[in-house]
Amino acid sequence: MTPILELANVSKRFGGIQAVKDASFSVGQGEILGLIGPNGAGKTTAFNMIAGFFKPDTGTIRLEGKDIAGKKPWEICEAGIGRTFQLSKPFGDLTVVENLMVGGFARNRDRRVNREKAEEMSAFLGMAAKRNIEANNLTAFDRRKLELGRALCTEPKLLLMDEVVAGATPSEAGEMVELVLKVRARGISILIVEHVMKVIMSLSDRVVVLDYGEMIASGPPKEVVSQPAVLKAYFGERYVQSRA
Amino acid sequence: MNTKTIPLERKDVEKTTSLPLRPSSLVAVVVLGVLALVPALVSDSFFIHSLIMILFFAYMSTAWNFVCGYVGQLSLGHTMFSGAGGYCSVLLFTQLGVSPWIGMIFGGFLAAFLSVLIGLPTFRLKGPYFTLTMIACAEILRIWVENTNDFYGIPLKGAEGLVVPSMGDDVWAFQFTSKIPYFYIILIMLAVAIFATRLMERSKLGYCLKAIRGDRDAAEALGINPTRYTTLAFAISAFMTALGGSFYAQFFRYINPERNMGLELSIDMAVMSIIGGQGTVLGPLLGAAILVPIAEAARGTLGGSFLGLHLVIYGLALIACVLYFPKGVIHPLGRFFSRLFGLKETRG
Repeated sequence: MTPILELANVSKRFGGIQAVKDASFSVGQGEILGLIGPNGAGKTTAFNMIAGFFKPDTGTIRLEGKDIAGKKPWEICEAGIGRTFQLSKPFGDLTVVENLMVGGFARNRDRRVNREKAEEMSAFLGMAAKRNIEANNLTAFDRRKLELGRALCTEPKLLLMDEVVAGATPSEAGEMVELVLKVRARGISILIVEHVMKVIMSLSDRVVVLDYGEMIASGPPKEVVSQPAVLKAYFGERYVQSRA
Repeated sequence: MNTKTIPLERKDVEKTTSLPLRPSSLVAVVVLGVLALVPALVSDSFFIHSLIMILFFAYMSTAWNFVCGYVGQLSLGHTMFSGAGGYCSVLLFTQLGVSPWIGMIFGGFLAAFLSVLIGLPTFRLKGPYFTLTMIACAEILRIWVENTNDFYGIPLKGAEGLVVPSMGDDVWAFQFTSKIPYFYIILIMLAVAIFATRLMERSKLGYCLKAIRGDRDAAEALGINPTRYTTLAFAISAFMTALGGSFYAQFFRYINPERNMGLELSIDMAVMSIIGGQGTVLGPLLGAAILVPIAEAARGTLGGSFLGLHLVIYGLALIACVLYFPKGVIHPLGRFFSRLFGLKETRG
């Protein structure tokens, strides 16, 4: 089966910094792929190139076989990729339902249909009671969920999630994990960037590890985290030596 | 005696009203309907004149609000569109004998074209940079017209301005000896502008503009091409503004760069929207209804001794508004009325 998303030799340089170097990985249909690595490893850059916010210098990014590298964010959305932001960006003076409706308009012009869809989505997020609250008045975690819902309303085939549980309490993180699994159950493939190992381990079918812009490992989460190269990237040379 | 207080059960009595229209639409229909009856009841021509001015500013402010209020950009250069529209219809009439009714449509398209030309590069700018660029564009146009007597055979007549020759009562020439036809024309224009805003607010365009106002990156990620939607809204707004410029020129049968292209009219349009409530359908109408009478009164009583006093009053009203009603007077007023009638609170 062809992967839903396939990156081949993707590189991006900002001035003297090679943010991503020759990255090649793929996300399978219905898969949850975790993208991990230490701070500054190039995760968010890779993420932003897929989402169309940066244009890669070289390489191809294919969504279901079609090259989408260098397309604009709204074209990427149209093609079927939804995304969330590291810092959530709700439309503050719109209500929860109105925020969700904006997502719906990407696929459908009919206001009534979009409102119904948005109401359903607010229930899916467990935010039905808050559906008429302005996004400004939501808690940080609710804003995150809202952003996830808004992206889902654009009916993506692939969802890109950037640090979904940053700053969340353990119970909130648990709720988010549940929610992400429910999203996958709807048949949506997911690429997730995350720092919290517990979340990555419990969610991902497979992980890809980046360090200094290069892919240093990939495979099932349990196997990957015990590889020396990964331990070295996270904890340094001496940690690996002392274990050996 | 048992003094334990029983907490009052607060029943949320949500009156489900079966109004045929949403409250804000109902208010618009009632206000415009009552206004339509005014000439039948009052014949004082100064009063009618003042009402025409209120409606004119409400119309211009509504046109401004159509893009600026919803997308959250402060344009202080909208008079370039009213100027372009006004000059276009007047020149077509005086030079080629084209009816101003048709001329104003041409003016509208000219302004829309101008807005696309200016909007494409400038709408990426944010906050003060956008505002300053718009002021610069409008001032360039004004100064150019002010200093140009003849442009490839088109007599612009510089700062002197253009006079529309009197034709008596002539519907085709957009001229009437009584003020009442002008009153109805601007009333209809305002009603259409309000209806257009209402339609836009509930359409994809409205949601896209509000999303762009909320966060441009997030809007892009949701499939919205900001340039496309802001340019479209800007062009519609420019078109409406230009029609207002033509109306102004026909009403006074005179047009000059200062009044029709000057910064002052731009400020009026923006301030009325902001004070009334920008990004709402009826905010601009409310703002005009508050500010125009104040300005007229100030000009009337102190005009000779304090030129420009109404601008001082604008300043004070703006300060008070920003301090107490940052979202515009319409929001507290809307809450007050919805409480009064026990309606479920609605937005805008």
